[in-house]
Amino acid sequence: MIRVQEADFDSAALTAALRESAGPGVGGIVTFVGYVRDYAPDTPTDTLFLEHYPGMCERELEDIAATARARWNLAGTVIVHRVGALHRNAQIVYVAAASAHRGDAFRGCEFIIDALKTRAPFWKRETLAGGDSFWVEQRQSDQDRTDAWDEDTPDKKENP
Amino acid sequence: MNGATINLLYFARVAELVGKRTETWPVQGESTGAQLLAELGQRYPQLEPATRLKLAINQTHAKPTAAIRAGDEVAVFEPVTGG
Repeated sequence: MIRVQEADFDSAALTAALRESAGPGVGGIVTFVGYVRDYAPDTPTDTLFLEHYPGMCERELEDIAATARARWNLAGTVIVHRVGALHRNAQIVYVAAASAHRGDAFRGCEFIIDALKTRAPFWKRETLAGGDSFWVEQRQSDQDRTDAWDEDTPDKKENP
Repeated sequence: MNGATINLLYFARVAELVGKRTETWPVQGESTGAQLLAELGQRYPQLEPATRLKLAINQTHAKPTAAIRAGDEVAVFEPVTGG
């Protein structure tokens, strides 16, 4: 399931729904929740504004999730990403991967959030408590992490 | 190819720098992403601080060598920062 929305989300309800839809063969679900955090070392963040490219955004997220499901044994995946003005400590993103085995679930979830950060067309504009505002720049470390998944070829089946 | 155009979309800081979010842009025959970025740099010198411009053609990430044809939807943006 892919959702891009302004509204907040209930991560416990999303996880419960994934467990229900993925069926009794699911042995575990790995989830990741991202929050608005203080970006500058000495000034609190006031607001993070999330802009996105409607259409392409959903398409990229679908493609990332499909790639994860093809690469690991996953019974289901969920990506929910918020857009618009988000205040300090607000939830931004929820990613979940369900699998019979934890290894696939961990790898699937981590792959999705890493790929999302370098492929999904979202942009963050940070406004600090003092009023300064700027567009966040992509970190090289994020691109390096996404690239590293090209090299990493864990076995598709954890317990063949 | 008289009157052939593409539909340009600008996002985030790029939209702020050029002062608009969409624009119809003329194209002659087939061109490339790199050619388009060079034309945009000439038309909008204020894009100079945006040194890492990226393109998507018809809602798919595209390299500078990718072909651009009349009728395409081409988005121009800086590296994405979601998550």
